[in-house]
Amino acid sequence: MASELTLSVNGAKQVVSVAPDTPLLFVLRNELKLTGPRLGCGMAQCGACSVLLDGEEIRSCVTAVSDAVGKKITTIEGLPEIWAAQKGLNAADAANALHPVQQAWIDEQVPQCGYCQSGMMIVAVELLAKNPNPTVAQIKNAFTNKPPSPHLCRCGTYVAIIDAVQRAAKTMKA
Amino acid sequence: MSVKIETTIDAARGNDSSIPTAVIPTAVTRRGFVQMGGALFVSLALPAGFSACKKGVTTTGGGNQLDPSLLASWLEIRSDNTILARTGRAETGTGMSSYYAQAIAEELNVRPETISLILSDTDRTPDGGYSAGFLDGMANVRKVAAYTCQALLGLAATQFGLPVSSLSVVDGIVSGGGKSISYGQLVQGQHLDLKIPVTGKLAKVDASEGAGIAGLDGFVVAGDPPMKPVSQFKVMGTSYPVPGIPAKVTGKTQWSCDVNVPGMLHARMVRPATLGSTLISVGVLDKKQFPTAEIVGKGNLLAVVSPNEWEAIGAAQAVAGSTKWTEWAGLPGSENLTKTLRERQWGAPSESRGDATGMTTGLAGASKKISVSYEQPYVRHAPIGPFVAVADVRNDGNVMVWTHSSQAQGLRAQIANTLSVPMEKVVVRWLEHSGQYGRTTFGGDGAEGDAVILSKLTGKPVRVQWTLEEDMAWSSVSPGWVADLEAGLDARGRLIAVHTAEYAPHQQDCRLLGAILAGMPTCTSKPTTWVTEEWPYDKIPHVLRETHGMPNLAAESAGGGLRGNIMRTPGQRQQVFALEGLINEAAAAAKADPIQFRIEHTSEQRLIDILNATAKAAGWEPRHSPHSGARRTGTSPLTGRGVCVVFRNNAYWVGIAEVAVTPATGLVRATKFTIGADCGKIINPRQLDRCMKSGVVMGLSEALKEEVTFDKSQVTSTNWNSYKILTMAEVPEIKVVQISRDDKGFGGGSEAANAVVPQAVAAAIFDTTGVQPRRMPMKPECLTALLKGAAKA
Repeated sequence: MASELTLSVNGAKQVVSVAPDTPLLFVLRNELKLTGPRLGCGMAQCGACSVLLDGEEIRSCVTAVSDAVGKKITTIEGLPEIWAAQKGLNAADAANALHPVQQAWIDEQVPQCGYCQSGMMIVAVELLAKNPNPTVAQIKNAFTNKPPSPHLCRCGTYVAIIDAVQRAAKTMKA
Repeated sequence: MSVKIETTIDAARGNDSSIPTAVIPTAVTRRGFVQMGGALFVSLALPAGFSACKKGVTTTGGGNQLDPSLLASWLEIRSDNTILARTGRAETGTGMSSYYAQAIAEELNVRPETISLILSDTDRTPDGGYSAGFLDGMANVRKVAAYTCQALLGLAATQFGLPVSSLSVVDGIVSGGGKSISYGQLVQGQHLDLKIPVTGKLAKVDASEGAGIAGLDGFVVAGDPPMKPVSQFKVMGTSYPVPGIPAKVTGKTQWSCDVNVPGMLHARMVRPATLGSTLISVGVLDKKQFPTAEIVGKGNLLAVVSPNEWEAIGAAQAVAGSTKWTEWAGLPGSENLTKTLRERQWGAPSESRGDATGMTTGLAGASKKISVSYEQPYVRHAPIGPFVAVADVRNDGNVMVWTHSSQAQGLRAQIANTLSVPMEKVVVRWLEHSGQYGRTTFGGDGAEGDAVILSKLTGKPVRVQWTLEEDMAWSSVSPGWVADLEAGLDARGRLIAVHTAEYAPHQQDCRLLGAILAGMPTCTSKPTTWVTEEWPYDKIPHVLRETHGMPNLAAESAGGGLRGNIMRTPGQRQQVFALEGLINEAAAAAKADPIQFRIEHTSEQRLIDILNATAKAAGWEPRHSPHSGARRTGTSPLTGRGVCVVFRNNAYWVGIAEVAVTPATGLVRATKFTIGADCGKIINPRQLDRCMKSGVVMGLSEALKEEVTFDKSQVTSTNWNSYKILTMAEVPEIKVVQISRDDKGFGGGSEAANAVVPQAVAAAIFDTTGVQPRRMPMKPECLTALLKGAAKA
């Protein structure tokens, strides 16, 4: 049965009335209209639904919304705010800012169909926060070997993703 | 997004597939003057008898900007110097939307940034057509732009009192005789029309066609407007970015899974227990636990709907648990696939190309003969996002469908056929979604059949979201394949005769699953298999190629069996693996370098050039395979290299694989892949680079990992643990070689990139071990068995 839950999503407080076992993914998409995270496998095998929970990448398709209460949820829609806060940008600059990962994804023309790329960018942001200068091997490791599963791209954009992570790393250090 | 049902203007285009060729002069006519704005509308010249509008019909955004009752135009040149272009094709993820903008910009002499595109919506685009056939789609918009440029020059010439020949255009500004005027100024305050001649027809269900639908090419622009020579290109040939990418990376794209219509119900399907089961009894729905959920069904189509998606999911799982289905076990099991195909009496080939007598004579006179068989499993498109669709079937008979199908007009035809309503009652709107890799090319497969049937039954808009397991178990598949090949070499080690015979189940079944399960009308396709047209080795004197088709495995079952459908580089992907395997084996038999061997058997300079360029980039040392240190045992990895060629759609492809093989474990690791392509004039080098590299990833995935498994009742590879695809860590260094030519037209620049990989990998394994793998995927357990078998032999 539905409960009122208070969430912190992309820096804003949101109150939702949902069954507490509802996967966070459906709450973000259907209640809060944040459609950046998408349904892929529904069982934490692909990463299309990834969001950041207190800075850690999680699979929102298998995370109950009640488990996200009290934590900071970030979707790709919230990445510009993270960057603006990090750089201390004023409101006017922040409004037009993209996170360097997003800009790199544009500059490197990463997405083909693009369905998985929201999750890919979330991994990139998490990786670069922990390791500002990753090697190719470290990038491959982050996108492949971190539980619960590899991040999958059926279009095969992995090389473009590696290029974009390296480009974003340079921008963020600058 | 509007939910108003848009009675389409397509009555004008007609359900009649016999629209004749319309060729009329392409002069601009003035329909009137307007106080605000102004535009030139470029639309199809419809033949007599087809009026452009239906009285009393209104559309929202469907027709032209100033007169929405008119047929959707190709182009609108607007007074603010912006351009709206429309094409019935979709963006399938390979960058076509940038190519369309580039082609239009090139012929109109405008900047591509001034062009916005409407793709694929059946009520807002004029032409239909295959998304996969983007070269045809691009040819259409390019010609439209060329016609339009001439018309605009004509307007400027009149205004300036100068001949057209004295005018020039840069960035949409026409200059001549010391004067200049922008396109926007030319149309300011006016409502102008330009009609473009077209041939062809829109999609329609037609049992006489291979895929069961006619008109999949859509309308084709006729005539020969003056077009810019390649040497003068300014926009085509540059790396113009794909217009939709910024919205995709910021979360602003509205995907087909995001469509949310007021009053919409979420549906989850309750699928039969096996591919051939029929319904015995519907399970129990606990209304206390799931108060808003309802069971909806027709025939073997069963679903649970609810306004709340999570409730629909829980209720569908509960109902599935107590629903009873008949038992069925009509599949052979994937481990018996080859045996099943081998045991079949195939009869006459569905297609045969070449010279049977010459081939027989050639083989009889050969000094050395090779006879080999190749096998491939069922594989599947396997997008990351499972099928999803929203449908709204209204009481007045109007049908609105939101889809990600790459063939919206074909889908529209199928839905009209399934619901037994006229085509003009159906509007299909397209949105981006996960890549489809060919499975929606004929306008079928997918959740749309489920959605329209459930919407009709409930009287409400319904969103059907398939699960991954459902998609992996029930969507169409690329069929398994066996090939028998023979080759004869002369005393000098040159091929003098080749015979290929290939056998495969159906690969053109695009029926909507929902319609099959509900027992409603579907299209009917032909289970034939075709011989790939392109043949790269013209110096082989005697060649006979034959293909044999058969219906789906378990076609007669309630669910239609394993529904075979085309997948990226269809048919040719499978034929290349076998044929290029034969070429590699023949080169080894002749103790010839595999690249030099290919060069000796072709007179096509483009192929020779791209072979040499790719070999150079790969650091290829000429020698024959296997290399001198090849071995079948040992726990340390050995490295080797192999090559494969594809000729498809006016493009030549070369793949050179380097792999490390550990004989004791059978583990194959791709260490480097060099891919070369000559696809005529390159439209967008960066997008081609991306497509080539990503194609290599998909090809390696097919070569090393992918296989649809099934038991006697159902598909068993239904998630990413049981249907494995390549991960980032497994991607090797990928080098790209591109040759652009100004004098060879345009060629297909994406599709074949996967097909050039598997045989290059197989040949590299042969190079390291001396044993040629003849079956995909080349998994460790298969390779160890192969190496052990070879060691015994």
